[in-house]
Amino acid sequence: MMTENAAKRPIIEVKNFTKRYGNFTAVRDISFDVAEGSIFAFLGPNGAGKSTTINTLCTIYDGYDGELYIGGNDVATQKSAVRSNIGIVFQECTLDLKMTIEENLRMHCVFYGVPRAEIEERIEFVLTLVDLLDWRKRSVSALSGGMKRRVEIARGLIHYPRVLFLDEPTAGLDPQTRAHVWEYILQLQKEKNITMFLTTHYMDEAEICDSVAIMDHGEIIAHDTPFGLKKQYTKDRAYVTTSNPAFLEKLLTQHEMTFAVKEKFHRIDVDDNASLLHVLAECRKDITDIEIRKGTLNDVFLEITGREIREGGDA
Amino acid sequence: MTVIFALWKRNIRAFWRNKPALIFNLVFPFFFIFVFAEIFRNDYIENAISFMLAGIIIAVVFDSAIRISSNTIDDMTSGFMREVLVSPVSRLTIAIGQFASSATVATLQGIIIFVVGFAIGLRISSPITILYALLAMLFVGLVFAGFGLFLATRAKNIQTFQAVSMAITMPMTFLSGAYIPLSMLNDFLTTVAYFNPMTYAVILFRSIVLERTGDPTEQLIMQELAFKVGDFTIEPVHAALILAAFGVLFLLLSTISFIRLDFSRMNRNKNDSLEIE
Repeated sequence: MMTENAAKRPIIEVKNFTKRYGNFTAVRDISFDVAEGSIFAFLGPNGAGKSTTINTLCTIYDGYDGELYIGGNDVATQKSAVRSNIGIVFQECTLDLKMTIEENLRMHCVFYGVPRAEIEERIEFVLTLVDLLDWRKRSVSALSGGMKRRVEIARGLIHYPRVLFLDEPTAGLDPQTRAHVWEYILQLQKEKNITMFLTTHYMDEAEICDSVAIMDHGEIIAHDTPFGLKKQYTKDRAYVTTSNPAFLEKLLTQHEMTFAVKEKFHRIDVDDNASLLHVLAECRKDITDIEIRKGTLNDVFLEITGREIREGGDA
Repeated sequence: MTVIFALWKRNIRAFWRNKPALIFNLVFPFFFIFVFAEIFRNDYIENAISFMLAGIIIAVVFDSAIRISSNTIDDMTSGFMREVLVSPVSRLTIAIGQFASSATVATLQGIIIFVVGFAIGLRISSPITILYALLAMLFVGLVFAGFGLFLATRAKNIQTFQAVSMAITMPMTFLSGAYIPLSMLNDFLTTVAYFNPMTYAVILFRSIVLERTGDPTEQLIMQELAFKVGDFTIEPVHAALILAAFGVLFLLLSTISFIRLDFSRMNRNKNDSLEIE
């Protein structure tokens, strides 16, 4: 089994993908693979090219340079095969608002050629998964935003896709619903070994993923596990408030530590904890406050681009 | 086939559930019946009520077939069309589903007025006429469903579609003989009417309802069921053929336009408009 897995072709392959709109290049020569059964996230600010890439992979946008494969099928020439293998939860609602939840799911089953005899069973399965079984006869237009998103996830799964694309799956949802949606996503990945491909600009969401590609201005500027990214690009930082700044600065310079002087505190880059402890021990009596912060993916983005990813913005 | 049927059923259901539009669509034609039926109580044309009703029925089928395409735009802007277009179903299949449901809805509306027509004086001698009339309504509905979808794919939003379809359907209806006999138009407008596909739909449907498809040419011209273009007389049979040609053209154009509809661009337009809001 191990060797078979190791030799397995990645479920998603992107080679030198470039997408232009007229003179504007939305995505510039990006390449990456996604392993089957993993959770992959695109992280980046709005307009970075995340949605363009996801939409092209989902066969919505035509005309691009490079090679895209999903499940070994060419996205440009084997659209129908690609479409049968994927489920999509779009950024905006794409439910049929005029119909009930059940009618939406039935329609989807017909589109994806789910055998008639299995439809009922599958509807029950996916609705149980997202806790909406009691709502099946309700019109979609009467549902809240979070419920609609859950219906979309259920719909994206009902034809048993190998890859589920989620474009900003939790954008515009309240924190509680966001947490729920993530529960469903993680449960599915574990139980059904479905590959999850998602875009987000929430840091905490990207932290959960197996692999994160950071996009900015249409390019992938870093791609690794969340841990690997933080290790490579961020440092832990100590924020120290002291009554004797001159002494602290002297000690820091002695230990060759990088620091920045802010209005109320000193921000110290922590390369190794031993040096920090030395410094702090020596000026212990002056220190009034201390806080140590671990690096985040936001710091990774900041480190690479010099900017912050706007959090909680509109999608 | 299952997919076409599912799409058809869904569209009929959507039409049925939109109660305000449903009521408007069903009530509106009666306005024409009452206004025009009175005007045409004269000796100029025999069987004036049947003559008038035939015109109104087919005008309603025409209008409905085009206006129902606004639902397609609804589906595009609401996002549902995206779900449809990323499924393995081909766009051609989707277009056929749209045509079929539009033609059905249009015919249903025609049937309702047809039934009411019997109550206010429409007379038919042979039952087979009803079958022919039904087929003709479906045919006309299909032709203009193509026209409607074409407008919808071009307009891309409800406001544009409504303005454009109004600007097109009004003159097409009034320059077709449906309400006003062509002989009452001046030369210029008559010439315009020759290029109007609705003119041929009216002649075809009216000759069927009046059961005069077999009449001699002179008689047909007198009854406004045929007209001369130069030396050639266009009779109901020719009207059917011309209408079929228009139909093929419309269905082709709309299908191509629908298949080529660039959703990446559409999405961007949507974003732009959101920014303005």
